[in-house]
Amino acid sequence: MTSLETLKLKLERVPVVSGGQAVRISLLSLVFSFIIFSIFLSIEGANPIDAYSNIFSFALDPNLGLPTTLHRGLFLLFSTLAFVVAYSARLWNVGMEGQFYLGTIGAFAVAYSLPELHPAILIPLMLLAGAIFGAGYGALAGFLRGKLNVNEVVGCLMLNNIAFWLVYLLTVGGPWAGIAESTSRPLPPNAHAPIISYTPFTSYLAIGIAIVLYIFLSKSVVGYKIRVLGNSPTAAQHIGINAPRTYILVMTIGGAIAGLSGYHMWAGDPAFLMIPRPEAYKAIGDLTYWGLIIGLVCLLNPVAAIPTSVFIGSIMMGSTVLVRRLRLPFGLDVLFLGLVSITFAAFQFFYMYKVRRMK
Amino acid sequence: MHREVGRGEAILEVRGLTKIYPGGVVALDNVDLEFKSGEIHAILGENGAGKTTLMNILFGVLQPDRGEIYVHGRKVRFRSPLDAINMGIGMVHQQRKLIPAHTVLENIILGHPEAGKILDFKKVRRDIEELCRKYGFKIDLDARVWQLSAGEQQLVEILRALYRGAKILILDEPTSVLTPLETEAFLTSLKSMSRQEIALVPFVTHKLPEVFAISDRVTILRRGKVVKRIETKDATMKALAEHMVGKEVLFVLSKPKVSIGGEILKVENLSAMNDKGLLALKNVSFTIREGEIFGIAGVSGNGQQELAEVLAGLRRVETGRIIFMGRDITNASVLERLKMGIGYIPSERLGVGVIGGFSLAENILMSLYFDKEFVNRGLLNYKKIREYAEKVISEFEVVAPSINTKAAYLSGGNLQRLVLSRVIPKTSKLLIANLPTTGLDIAATEYVRKRLLECKEKGMGVLLISDDLDEVLQISDKIAPIYEGRFVSILQAEEAQKEVVGAMMTGAYSER
Repeated sequence: MTSLETLKLKLERVPVVSGGQAVRISLLSLVFSFIIFSIFLSIEGANPIDAYSNIFSFALDPNLGLPTTLHRGLFLLFSTLAFVVAYSARLWNVGMEGQFYLGTIGAFAVAYSLPELHPAILIPLMLLAGAIFGAGYGALAGFLRGKLNVNEVVGCLMLNNIAFWLVYLLTVGGPWAGIAESTSRPLPPNAHAPIISYTPFTSYLAIGIAIVLYIFLSKSVVGYKIRVLGNSPTAAQHIGINAPRTYILVMTIGGAIAGLSGYHMWAGDPAFLMIPRPEAYKAIGDLTYWGLIIGLVCLLNPVAAIPTSVFIGSIMMGSTVLVRRLRLPFGLDVLFLGLVSITFAAFQFFYMYKVRRMK
Repeated sequence: MHREVGRGEAILEVRGLTKIYPGGVVALDNVDLEFKSGEIHAILGENGAGKTTLMNILFGVLQPDRGEIYVHGRKVRFRSPLDAINMGIGMVHQQRKLIPAHTVLENIILGHPEAGKILDFKKVRRDIEELCRKYGFKIDLDARVWQLSAGEQQLVEILRALYRGAKILILDEPTSVLTPLETEAFLTSLKSMSRQEIALVPFVTHKLPEVFAISDRVTILRRGKVVKRIETKDATMKALAEHMVGKEVLFVLSKPKVSIGGEILKVENLSAMNDKGLLALKNVSFTIREGEIFGIAGVSGNGQQELAEVLAGLRRVETGRIIFMGRDITNASVLERLKMGIGYIPSERLGVGVIGGFSLAENILMSLYFDKEFVNRGLLNYKKIREYAEKVISEFEVVAPSINTKAAYLSGGNLQRLVLSRVIPKTSKLLIANLPTTGLDIAATEYVRKRLLECKEKGMGVLLISDDLDEVLQISDKIAPIYEGRFVSILQAEEAQKEVVGAMMTGAYSER
């Protein structure tokens, strides 16, 4: 016997992960992050069980956190779907941020220039403009990738930066500047959207899009072509699928979905009805990157993304009580969110490998 | 760790090796083996016989479920290939593990324990040159790997293993990518290594004659068990093949008599570039008629790949014309050609012919998605697709639990059956088969050839591209040896002699 006898674990590559396994792994990752965060809570002198029950009772209380939970959660769903459709062709759409800003510009431009229109016309028009602006921005990155072979990650990130400053130009001292410092002026009354059981109607739109996207990807010819291309560009070429055109298509669809979230975020929520200060709209823009994590954890299944997005939304909303209600130090709420995201991402490992004990 | 060993001493021994994969597949069942220094001990077996598993266990990639490994009589356990390397085991992979942009020297020292520290290139170079002298290898240490031929790249892998002190070399299908000339040189170098008391373990699926030429001992695996151990001098090639497949092997397929019909494909003065932008296919002209198999014999890399791709619409034509059923399709798209009834069996199965993450039904769909019969207002008609997939999968004897099984779980021969079941039923006129049997075991090879002959019987034209000369001679009606992008000749099968075709495809033949 030699010293080589010590290690008892062995990794094995899993060819394909099934949906059931993915759910188990994701739940396990959540439990893990909750345990880790309990340690931090204990260090700060809080009772973890007490803290968790506070988090979720606040986040899910219709009179307290629920509206924001749903609003933010379904905002994440828009980003997730925008990521999923492009990633089905294995394009990394990290341009949801920029597409979201562009969608904001599109929607607000319509509202500011046609304030007298009847809401039944104005609101759909705002949505349409948001989708078109986002789609165009997505298509731009798709075109650069499809026709000129510019890496879509680099393209998207640069476009994101441009989009941020476009919004800045319009709001901070620009044509849309409001009375308050650095925000846009409020939307005209005709642009105020209805709220249906605690949440803007666009939340239901997001759920509808998720279902349509699911059917589109799994049952339609175009969806099939997208998935073949995503799994193997060479195979796609061999059966006559036009890769550049498909790349542009997925980025356009993704951009349109992310563009809609511009309306959902600022025009849908009665708490805003304007574009807030740059730090505030940038902070929301940063949230769009959750779309990557949720999309990958859900194995690109748009329907699975619905509950996952709302769940992340509930943690986002609920963790704020740690500071406000339990008087714990600032930053602990952000830490919780970070832990959840990092364990989610780290547990992706088990989508690809299985740990086996050696005898 | 590397003590000097005498000739004939057992370097590596395994006892009772058993490996069971999740799902209950017994890949190795109680295998005992012994590898002695200075001996060439070939392991033979079909695909699925357990060779790859055995190789991976010997090199520390996989761990056995039961059984022991002994190095120089000491019991060991390999956690990873690094342990195996440190114990003096070297591996020469079929898929080369080299960095193409680096030089030979850099590739050899890559991963060497000393390489993490300050490199003394002069000393390393002296050592490697010494090794080359000792074994009679000839190689330019400053050449970049991408410039080397397949045989030279193999040599680099061998040198790397030897430089790390390997006393036993595992060789995975060592001659599969070599030209006949390279093979000869390679076999000579194996001999010289074995004289230097290195144990050599080639793993072989096909190319039995070469095993015969050099090995001292042969062990045959079938379905994870050792079915035969024999000294090469006592064996016959036919007996080895029989033990491998476990039944009488049909080395000769009968070619059905089919009347040759009208012209399907006419290629005129076709030229095309390869990926590097060099002219790879030069002025090729030929015709294929109904019921005819047109075989192209050649060593890989002589323009066959480019020809297949040009005909399938995957590569641009530089000059020349392609006429299919009287229509000029020189610039037709891939999809147009598929719709016209041109089928293409690509040389790569997983990732091109089929997609691993897709179910069998979704894979079959690759040849249906543009067919109106299976599409209803932009949506796929999964009921019809499933019915169709069930039908072709049973017709082509793809072995799988159901049509929802992912293709990634199929073995080599089964994968190719899946490719055939996808392509052939949707091909009406012309089938392009690019290396359809490469890497398959004997039974699967025979199956593929039978299917190609069936296509001929149905009156299709078949373009067969193969690097197996026997295959081309056996089932083609016309044979075109290809060398450096040109057809050396186009011969009728009856008048083609193996030696002549062999000489033509290696450039050794010149018409004077």
